[in-house]
Amino acid sequence: MAFVKSEKTPDRPAPLSERSVTGWMRKNLFNSWFNSILTVGTLLLIYFIVKGIWDWGFADATFMAENRRECFDNSLTGACWAGVIDWLDNIFYGRYPRDQIWRIHYGGLMLVLWMAPLWMERVKGKVLIAAGVVVFYPFLSGYLFAGGDKGVFMQLMVTGAVVALIANTANMITGLLKQESLKGFLLRVSGQTIAPDKTQRNILLAITGCAFAAAFIWQMNWRVDAVPWTKWGGLFLTMVISGIGIASSLPGGIILALGRRSKLTVIRVLCVSFIEVFRSVPLITVLFMATTMFPLFMDEGFVLNKLTQVIIAVVLFNACYMAETVRAGLQAIPKGQYEGAHTIGLGYWRMMGLVIMPQALKHMIPNIVGSFIGLLKDTTLVSIIGLFDILGMLRSISKDVPWLGLHKEPLIFGAMLFFILCFLMSKYSRYLEVKLSAGNRH
Amino acid sequence: MKQVSLIAAFAALTTSAFAGAGTAAAESTLDIVKERGHLRCQVGSPSAGYYNLDSDGNWYGLDVSVCQAVAAAIFGDKSKLEIQSVSSQARFTALANGESDLLSRTATWTLTRDSQLGIDFLAPNFYDGQGFTVRKDSGITSAMELQGAKVCVTTGTTTELNLTDYSRANKLNISNVTFEDFNVRDDTYLNGGCDAVTGDKSSMAGNIAAFPVPADHIILPETLSKEPLSSAVRHGDNQWSDIVRWSIFALINAEELGITQANVDDMLANSPVPSVRRMLGAEGNLHEGLGLKSDWAYNIIKAVGNYGEIYEAYMGHGKQGIGIDRAGTLNALWTDGGLMFSPPMR
Repeated sequence: MAFVKSEKTPDRPAPLSERSVTGWMRKNLFNSWFNSILTVGTLLLIYFIVKGIWDWGFADATFMAENRRECFDNSLTGACWAGVIDWLDNIFYGRYPRDQIWRIHYGGLMLVLWMAPLWMERVKGKVLIAAGVVVFYPFLSGYLFAGGDKGVFMQLMVTGAVVALIANTANMITGLLKQESLKGFLLRVSGQTIAPDKTQRNILLAITGCAFAAAFIWQMNWRVDAVPWTKWGGLFLTMVISGIGIASSLPGGIILALGRRSKLTVIRVLCVSFIEVFRSVPLITVLFMATTMFPLFMDEGFVLNKLTQVIIAVVLFNACYMAETVRAGLQAIPKGQYEGAHTIGLGYWRMMGLVIMPQALKHMIPNIVGSFIGLLKDTTLVSIIGLFDILGMLRSISKDVPWLGLHKEPLIFGAMLFFILCFLMSKYSRYLEVKLSAGNRH
Repeated sequence: MKQVSLIAAFAALTTSAFAGAGTAAAESTLDIVKERGHLRCQVGSPSAGYYNLDSDGNWYGLDVSVCQAVAAAIFGDKSKLEIQSVSSQARFTALANGESDLLSRTATWTLTRDSQLGIDFLAPNFYDGQGFTVRKDSGITSAMELQGAKVCVTTGTTTELNLTDYSRANKLNISNVTFEDFNVRDDTYLNGGCDAVTGDKSSMAGNIAAFPVPADHIILPETLSKEPLSSAVRHGDNQWSDIVRWSIFALINAEELGITQANVDDMLANSPVPSVRRMLGAEGNLHEGLGLKSDWAYNIIKAVGNYGEIYEAYMGHGKQGIGIDRAGTLNALWTDGGLMFSPPMR
């Protein structure tokens, strides 16, 4: 059997045309004369675009100058980033007093500190944390940003917020260190782990009460200067409006969506007409109505804070869009889920809260985040009614005498900023989607 | 635009109805402002020379100075002021519905606005007029040579209408290239998209100064329209309109009398000239009819300077000025052949 080889023939490498770069290029980019022309043409196009951007934005650009004339003296063809750099404070904080900007930073840090536990696996009580953020954070940060004298209600809410923030942080620490909740930790330390429920509750109430009293006394002496809303602006204002919009449009949307599917005629008709009226009107019209027409219906001289009017308009408008998104999610849930929930004896609210909503919202994550991104970008419309949000600030640079006419660079800077924000949001939604659907991939 | 003016007219009707019903009982604007503790003064979205933000977020400009002057006249403190930036569509409504106490922005005083919107125009603080900018190398020296030219113009204002009228009246056959934003209008012109730009001469002068090579462009001598830019208040409170009107006249009168921000203290203490002494409150009782304190005019000049100083700072060649020469224009003092004239303060 000499014609049978006794050992395996060694693998020969693939032909050169299949494995080398030139081979790949020949096969994919230059496999016909037409494709060759396309390839060369496209490469040239990319080259010119990249070179143009590079030359304008970096090579010929001016980063340090006192005014636009100096930029021109440096280069007539390059960008003048010096104006944007000079205006960075305005772009980020608006007209907020420069020596008070730390308050905006603290407000942001507080939000991070408050919400960080939501992403920590070891920390318990996520629902309470989220509720705490939604209920208390607006008051604490609201006072921090606006300042001035506190009314009784504000004093109570600020106190509550301080207690909630401290408890939240303590809960995070015990969670990270011992993987137990703050409640469990307090009971263990006081040696009441096996005490009856009533004793436990009294102990926790006593601790909360003491903390509340201490915080109340502390906050009576805590006062920051008043900063009128007219001084709020820039990215800060955009974040305030869209943050409130995002935080309240989802709950609002859920309520409206449930109302629209309600069996009670009055509620259904109310919800449907509300949704349809707000959805069929452009946002800018709603904003104009809120800011110019609304005062006409009020007493002469009556002025409601314009920012409040704008925020209310944005929230109502987006809740209506969100309602339709949520409703779409609800429609997608098979009837069997409802029936199953009923079978095991769940009432309406628990059925919705425990069975239907979690599934519906999970399906709708891309749409919900899409709405949020839209909301963030839509808030720039407020610049038209005279609020200096980030777009308003960016457009004002071209009217400041040292930077007169400088309008391309600020807008490009703004576009980059928005791209980063929106891209992060969409990336996060993608991650959330994958994470939440990990269990039931088909 | 029709819709907007309808809204404005509606606003005017409603407010005048309110005002008519409750004039006797209602507080005067001065009392409301004093009670509130600050003046609400309306400007527009930033416009170079008139009202703009600096990089620290402070308002400055010719019209802002008028706001500050009125605040200083009432409170003796120019910072007791809230500048409201209102879109041009909502400007007269915001004044008529009581949101603003005073409108100090580039609004042209016209008969329709004065008589139909429930507002009163008081005194011009700047005289503007529409004109053309062309490239110097085009060889054009008169608007009559713009035969068949493409002209860049911003839309939605009377500027466009004036251009069309002018073209028809002089058989120039001009084609309009319209823009929403005047930065884009200027860019198009600079890139050769049109032969000329039309707009208010003052703002064009400022824009040209910011072009890459200002010397390449000239403003043609013809003026298409007259634009007396004037402050306005709500119709019906005469004391309030007197206060604002005479605050502006005080700026002009101070220039005529040679009172400046720097020498106002000296003038008050040492000047023997009766008209200076009367104006600054050293003698006489000019303030009584206005319901202000006797040093109201002194406070104005101390806070913002006289009209000439303000012009030089923001319209002229000051550090924050857009560089428009004043001599020989309508904005010169009447003694120099301009239109800036204050009735006598006595």
